[in-house]
Amino acid sequence: MIFQIPAALREYAGGRSSLEIEHAPAILNDVLTQLWETYPGLRDRIITEQGQVRTHINIFVGDENIRYLGGLAARVAADSIISIIPAVSGGCLEPLSGHAMPASVTNRKNQG
Amino acid sequence: MIGERVGHFRIVSKLGEGGMGVVYRAHDELLDRDVAVKVVRKDRVPELAPHHDLLAEARASSSLAHPNICTIYEVGETEGEFYIVMELVEGQSLRELCAPAGVSPEAVLRFGLQIAAALARAHDRGIVHRDLKSANIVVTREGLAKVLDFGLARQMELGGSEETTRSVPTSPHSSSVGGTLSYLAPEVLRGEPADHRSDLWALGVVLYEMASGRLPFHGHTGFEITSAILREMPAPLGPPIPPGLWATIQRCLVKERAQRYQRAGEVQAALEAVQSAAILAHDLGAERSEPKTTILHSVKHVRLNRGDSLLLVGTIKGAFILRSNAQRTRWEVGGPYFHGHAVYALAYDDRGERQRIWASTQSYWGTNLRSSDDFGKSWTNPVEVPIRFPADTGTSLKNIWQIAQGRTDDPDTLYCGVEPAALFESRDAGQTWSLNRALFDHPHRARWLPSNGGLALHTILPDPADRQRMYVAISTGGVYRTNDGGQNWKATNRGVRVTFSPDKYPEFGQCVHKIAMHPAHPERLFLQNHWGIYRSDDFAESWTDIANGVPSDFGFAITVHPAHPNWVYTIPVESDEFRCSCDGRLRVYRTRNAGASWEGLSRGLPQKSAYETVLRDAMTTDAGEPTGIYFGTRSGQLFLSLDDGRTWQRIVEGFPSILCLRTAGVGEASGRVRAAAAPKAPASAAQRPAREGMPSKARGKRGGRA
Repeated sequence: MIFQIPAALREYAGGRSSLEIEHAPAILNDVLTQLWETYPGLRDRIITEQGQVRTHINIFVGDENIRYLGGLAARVAADSIISIIPAVSGGCLEPLSGHAMPASVTNRKNQG
Repeated sequence: MIGERVGHFRIVSKLGEGGMGVVYRAHDELLDRDVAVKVVRKDRVPELAPHHDLLAEARASSSLAHPNICTIYEVGETEGEFYIVMELVEGQSLRELCAPAGVSPEAVLRFGLQIAAALARAHDRGIVHRDLKSANIVVTREGLAKVLDFGLARQMELGGSEETTRSVPTSPHSSSVGGTLSYLAPEVLRGEPADHRSDLWALGVVLYEMASGRLPFHGHTGFEITSAILREMPAPLGPPIPPGLWATIQRCLVKERAQRYQRAGEVQAALEAVQSAAILAHDLGAERSEPKTTILHSVKHVRLNRGDSLLLVGTIKGAFILRSNAQRTRWEVGGPYFHGHAVYALAYDDRGERQRIWASTQSYWGTNLRSSDDFGKSWTNPVEVPIRFPADTGTSLKNIWQIAQGRTDDPDTLYCGVEPAALFESRDAGQTWSLNRALFDHPHRARWLPSNGGLALHTILPDPADRQRMYVAISTGGVYRTNDGGQNWKATNRGVRVTFSPDKYPEFGQCVHKIAMHPAHPERLFLQNHWGIYRSDDFAESWTDIANGVPSDFGFAITVHPAHPNWVYTIPVESDEFRCSCDGRLRVYRTRNAGASWEGLSRGLPQKSAYETVLRDAMTTDAGEPTGIYFGTRSGQLFLSLDDGRTWQRIVEGFPSILCLRTAGVGEASGRVRAAAAPKAPASAAQRPAREGMPSKARGKRGGRA
């Protein structure tokens, strides 16, 4: 089983672009657990502290996104290629976070 | 033909002969180099359709300059013959190398990558090989794989792919059975036109052949081979072939071309991945939870001297460190640090013996808290993110909005305000962090509302005079105060108006944008609300509207002059719908009487078509003499005033959207308060030895430091 590691995460995988796992378990979550044991830095970049795949990260088994394969419970095979790919929407994080409220109809301009 | 001339090429010797022509070694008398000349008799080229014009195709191929492609120098025709002059490639054909048992997996990957690179280049130029096979690839003595006959061979030997189905199995050039035929993609055998994906099929066949010494589809007759290609699966390749290589080959050999790799670059990437693959073993775990340090070699660092002024700039795409001398008239830019990561929070901690910059980074890959003790040359990069919600909360960290230090006499205390709204505390200078449960479990929490970017605790103000008192501000939740060191929290929003609920003055739920305090007057706080500017004179117990004469009381940033506790600065924006400076004029508003009146400050700021936004942490002050007041805009401009706001100068333009600013001084004694962001006890004047300037080398791991 091969894990393809995106460039942004290679520093957490000994600089490697892919990792091969021999005798991998059959469930993706178990494989990931094995992966974290060896490369703990990958864990927090791919899943949250509550064990969910990060919102903008997609994991593919072959060509299929795991969200259509049962998520982290997806079954994987010995010859699976698992890709970790960030979503394509461009990395723009809305900087006005925490500011947006329903538009007010009361402009208190110049009020004392 | 030996000794004859074709153009300015003198034929030297015969190199070989194929179905359609003869290849000679020749000497280019003009350029004095040896070349290969392939001479093809026109009458041997079966009726070519006009769009398969051999010469045009050869000319197109001659544009392919690539180390793994045999270069075509010249094409022409003379006396009933076509001739093609090409790079003389001397070596062994891959077909010869593959017999009888293939080459090593390393060599498969090495040559495979080179062939894929050649295809990628040709396909990018719209050129399809159409007859890639091991016999058409030569490996030079230097180990370079060279693909021959781009765009040529299929035409010459098969007379157009449309004829394939009928012509090949019955071709008089029976040598091509088991040769060319074995590399043909199913669609080509079905009579469909070949395209670049047909080349990728052929690449799969070549990879299989290299890996095993066998062809994936074989038979005694053309019919058997065709049948195998159309219907059968190749025999699996096991060890020593890495599973990743076998998977790549299989993906090249998918019968339906739409399901195959679609680009040669994809095959390249897949082969590269296998090449760098490592076997996961359980004894590899050298790195564990201690912070890894990342030394940045490719980033421009500023050179620092003692007494320099620093401006730390967090942007939506990374952080910058700006340096100036004490005069602060010219600024040098270092960075970007954390390339591509949003840096919502920065802090400079000069308590104790430190000169430490803290930064929060956010990207697709989560949020992390990082620090540098050498002004950005190296940064910790904790393997495990130190700020994490306990499992029972069911909550995950989304962002760190604020990094704040505790009191000066509590030099190992740090705080982080995060999204979703929560306060984290560290008592060991940032090594370990814990969630403040009292605030997290506050009964109000369920009714705090996430706003546009989520629910964030973005402001932390410890009272410099009272160890037990501290304020936090939450959007949207309001101001909360603890009087007992964080064990209990009280909503303190009386008098602060909300515009988005029927109850205009609720106990909590205000969308507070920022609160500020002068350390000499910890009882007095200023508040920029989502509509409204307020002051409290009673430790936030109650608030009074002080928006007396501002063009809009909507805004984000608010800051107090370090030398004048009643001087407050804010930068109004028009409204929550139009979060831009009012009337397209960028103006800072200042009060010098704690809000009784405000005056606009615009000298040096753009006053025409300046629709700017200054975010909540993007205004700060320094402790220089005179005081510097700084702000940064969402459009990436940085302004500085050295005369309390009367005049402004732009010190940077073109940064990514600016999220936060902090100031720092290099190598100052602690008696002078230099980190303007952190509240300090006014009585604190303990001198510490002046530090030398910059360490000359980046530090290594900081493990264990407290």
